[in-house]
Amino acid sequence: MIERRMLLRAGLGAAAGGLALGRARAEAEPYVLGTLFPMAGPNAEYGTIFTEGAQLALTHLAADKLLSRQVVLKAEDSQGTPQGGAVGMSKLVNVDHALYVLIGFTGVSKAAAPIGTRAKVVMVNGGGVGPDLAGLSPYYWNVIPLASAEVSRIAPYLVAKGWKRVALIYMDDPFGNGLRKSMQTDLPKAGGEIAGLFAITPAEQQFSALAAKVRDAKPDVVYFASYGAQQAQIIKQLRDNGIDQQLVTYSGALIPSVRSLPQAEGLIFTVQTAPWSATDPVTRRFLADWQATHKELPSVYHQNYYNAVRLFGLLAHGLEQQGKPVDGDSLRAELLRVRRFALVGGEGTFDDLGDLSVPIDIETLKGGQPVKLD
Amino acid sequence: MTAYLLNLAQLAAIFGLLAASLNVLVGYGGIFSVAHAVFFGFGAYAGAQIALNVTPDVLLVSAAGGLVAGVLSLALALPALRVRGEYFVVASLGLQMVATTAFTEAEPVTGGLGGLVGIPPPQLLGFSLASPWAFLAVCLAALFGGLAVMRLLMRGSFGRSLMALRDSESAAEAFGKNVALLKTLAVALGCTIAGVAGGLFALQMAFVNVESFTLDQSVLVLAMVIVGGTGTLAGPLVGTLLLLLLPAALSFLPGIPPTEIGAVQQAIYGLAMALLMIFRPAGLAGRAQGKR
Amino acid sequence: MLLAQLLISGIQTGLLYALTAAGFALIFGATRIFHFAHGAAYALAGYGFVFAVRAGWSWPLAALLATVLAVGFGLFMDAFVYRPIQRHTGSFFTVFVAAFGVVIVVQSGIEIGFGRAFVAVTSPLTRASAVLPGLYLARAFWIALAAAGVLFGALGLFLARTRTGIALRALAENPDLLRAYGLSARRLSALAFALGSALAVPGAVLGAATTGLSPSVASHVMLVSLAASVVGGIGSLRGAAAGGLVLGIAENLVVSVLDTQWSEAAGFVVLFAFILFRPRGIFGAALAR
Repeated sequence: MIERRMLLRAGLGAAAGGLALGRARAEAEPYVLGTLFPMAGPNAEYGTIFTEGAQLALTHLAADKLLSRQVVLKAEDSQGTPQGGAVGMSKLVNVDHALYVLIGFTGVSKAAAPIGTRAKVVMVNGGGVGPDLAGLSPYYWNVIPLASAEVSRIAPYLVAKGWKRVALIYMDDPFGNGLRKSMQTDLPKAGGEIAGLFAITPAEQQFSALAAKVRDAKPDVVYFASYGAQQAQIIKQLRDNGIDQQLVTYSGALIPSVRSLPQAEGLIFTVQTAPWSATDPVTRRFLADWQATHKELPSVYHQNYYNAVRLFGLLAHGLEQQGKPVDGDSLRAELLRVRRFALVGGEGTFDDLGDLSVPIDIETLKGGQPVKLD
Repeated sequence: MTAYLLNLAQLAAIFGLLAASLNVLVGYGGIFSVAHAVFFGFGAYAGAQIALNVTPDVLLVSAAGGLVAGVLSLALALPALRVRGEYFVVASLGLQMVATTAFTEAEPVTGGLGGLVGIPPPQLLGFSLASPWAFLAVCLAALFGGLAVMRLLMRGSFGRSLMALRDSESAAEAFGKNVALLKTLAVALGCTIAGVAGGLFALQMAFVNVESFTLDQSVLVLAMVIVGGTGTLAGPLVGTLLLLLLPAALSFLPGIPPTEIGAVQQAIYGLAMALLMIFRPAGLAGRAQGKR
Repeated sequence: MLLAQLLISGIQTGLLYALTAAGFALIFGATRIFHFAHGAAYALAGYGFVFAVRAGWSWPLAALLATVLAVGFGLFMDAFVYRPIQRHTGSFFTVFVAAFGVVIVVQSGIEIGFGRAFVAVTSPLTRASAVLPGLYLARAFWIALAAAGVLFGALGLFLARTRTGIALRALAENPDLLRAYGLSARRLSALAFALGSALAVPGAVLGAATTGLSPSVASHVMLVSLAASVVGGIGSLRGAAAGGLVLGIAENLVVSVLDTQWSEAAGFVVLFAFILFRPRGIFGAALAR
C-alpha cells in the first residue's frame, strides 16, 4: 500500500517544510519501508519509475510469505532537491518510523544520509549515481553502479578511440563535482587529458556561450554530466553552435526527452548491463510478471528498486530465522555476514561499503534506440 | 500527525517572524524589497556555521544570524538611500539574483547546491531542545518577542518618523527628519530580525541550502505581508498562516493526477494572489481602501 | 576569436532582449503601469508557437497565433487586472503582487499543458556554420537583426509621425489634455498593451527555435525586461532597447573570464551598478527621486 504525500513545488519548499499529511504508526507493527523520491516537479517521472519497481517486489514478498509481519510502503516527496530530501527524510524517520528507506538522486541522498545515520535507518539507493555515494554512511547502500564506475569504464574506451582530449561539462552540484573528480583521476590514468572544465547549474538554459568556450578548447570529444530535460538543451545547443565532436555522457541520458531529440543521434553513453537474457528464476519471475502487466521491458531502475526491496525481504527473513530483531544495525550485520544474494540479474555480491557490483555497457543512440557498442 | 502539526507550527512561527520583519521595510518604511530571502539566508548560513562548528545554542545561533544579516543589510540600504519606488524594487531584484548565484558558488561557506547538512539538534543554555514542543516554544517566544520590539519601536518616535517618511519623503525632510539615518535603521532592523528567523530556520530544518533563499522565497514572503495587510501588526501573521496553510489544504484536493498536483496548487495559489489584490488591495487585515 | 564569438552571441541575445524590453517600456511609458506579467506574454507566445508548429502549421501562421496570444494576454491584463486595481487607488505593491499571481497561474498552466521539460522547434535556421575560422554564425542571427531593425524602425515612425503615436506618448504626461482632444485614454492604454505585448513575439519565436522554452521562462524574461528598462532609463524606448543589448552582451562576454553560471548574475551586476551610479539610465530623463 502506498500513502501519497504531496509537497509543493521547489520554490515554496522551505515554507512547505512538512506540509504533508502525516499519519502516525498504523496497524499492528508492520515493517515500514519508506520511499524518498521526487513525486512532483521536473523529476517526477523518475519517482514514478522507482516506485513501480518497489511495488512489484512488495507483491512478490507478500505472495511468498517470506516474513512474519506485513510490509508497508510510506512515500515522501523529495522533490529531487537536497532540501526536499532533508525534510522528507526527517519525516520518514520521526513520523513514520521507517526502518529501511529507498532513495534516489545524489543531492537528496547527501542531505538525507546524516539524518538516517543518526537514527540508524538503512537507506538503499538504486537511482542516484554521484560517485561519493559510495561509503556515504554505514547505513547507506547502493544497488546501482555509481558514475565513478561509469567513468572508469568509458575513459579507456575514449582513449582507445583516439579521443584523448576531453572537454568536460558538469553540473556544479554534489553529483557533477563527484563525476568531475573521477574523470580527473581516471582519464590521465588511461592516457587521455582534460581539455577544459565547464561548470553549469541546474537552472541554466542558454548554452551558446558555453559552446563557444568548449569549441575554443579544441577537444577531441565532449563529455557532459547533467540530468533531466537540461541534457536535451545541452545537446541541441552544442550541435547548433558548431560543436561537431562526438558527445558522450553517462546513464542519465536514457530518458524520453533525450532519446526523441534528433541531435542526440549517435550519442555515446554508459549504462549498467540489462540482464533480461539471464536464466535464473528470480530474473525470470520479475521479467514475466512485469511484462504481464506493463507489456514492455522494464528499465534498470525498475530492476534496482525491485532488488532493494527484495534485499530487505531476504535480510529480514534471515534475521527472523535467527530470532533477532529487525533494525538498522542488525540489517547491516546480516548484509555483511551473508554478502551474496539471489537478485534480479543473477547472484549479486556486496562489498564492505554495502555496494553491489554491476557490469556496465557502452551504448549509443540509433534512431532513438540504445544499441550496444562494447 | 502531532509531529507533523508541530513541524508546521514551528515553520509558521519562523515565517511569521520573517514576514513581520519585512513589514518593517515595506509597511512602515515604504522600502519595497524583493530581496528579503537574501537576509534570511545570511542568517541561516551564519547560524548553521555556528551550530556546526561552535554550539547549537539557540541564543548564540540566532544572535549570529541576526548580526551577520544586520551588518550585510547595508548592501540593501545603499540603493534604498539613492533611489525610490520602481527603481529600488529593481535594485533589490538585482541584489537577489546576484546573491542566489553567490550562495550557490561560495561552497566553502554555504555548501553550494549540496547545502550544509547534519546541523545538530538545538540547545538552550545547555538544555536540549530536541523535543518539538520545546523548540516550538522557542520559536513562539522569538516571534512574540520580535513583534513586541517592533510594536514598541513603531509606536514610538522612530516609527512615526518612518511612517511620515513613507507617506511623503519631501515633507519628512522638510520637517527636519534625517531621511538617510531613518531608512538605514529601518533596513537594519528588518534585516536583523530576518537573520534571527534564518538562524531558527537552520536549526528547525537541520539543513540549509540555496533553494530556500531564492527569488521565489522573497516573493512568497512579500506576498505574505501584502496579502495580510502592510503596515499592520497582525497582517503579516494572517498572510503567513494563509499562504502556509493554503497549499497544505490544497493537497487534499481529490481527482487530480499526482504528478499534476504541484502545478494545480501553484495555479490556485497564484489566482488567489491576483484575485485578492483586485478585490481587497489593502490586504486581509488591512483597513478599508484609500487610507493606508 | 572567442571574444568575437561571444560578442556575436551577445548581440543575438541582446537584440531579442531589446525588443521584449522595448515592449515593457512602451507599456510603462504610456500607462505608468509596471507590467510585471510581461514575461507571461512572452511565454504564451512561445508556447503557442511551439504548439502550432507541432500541429503542422506553417511558421508564419504559427507566428500569427503567437501574436494573437500575446496581444490577447496584454489586453486581458489591462482590462481585468490593472484597471480594476487602479480604480481603487491600488498602490504599486498591489499591482506587483497581482501581476506576480498571474505569472504563477500562466506558468502552472503551461506546466499542466506542456509538462515541465523544455520544448523547442527544430529548424535549420539555428544551425551555425563557420563564416571565419572559429567564428560561427547561424541564420537566426540575421533574422534577429532584421526583426529588430524593421520593428524598431516601424515603431519609431509610428510614435513620431502618426496622431495616435503622438497621443500614446502624451498619455502618461497628461491624460486630461488627451480627453480634451477627444481621445480615449482607455483605448490608448489598450493600444499600448497590445503593441507592447506584440513586441515580445519575435523574442519568443526565436527563443523557441534557438534555446528552447521552459515554463519558468516567464520570470526570466520579466527580470530581463525590468533590468533592461532600468539600465536604459525607465520609460524610454530607446533606452530599453540599448539596455537589452547591453545586458545580452554582458551576459555573454562575462563567460570569457568566469564560468557560465555567473552570466545571469553578471547582467544584474551591471543593473545594480547603473542604479547606484546612474539611476537615470543611459538615455533616461526621468529622475529617480
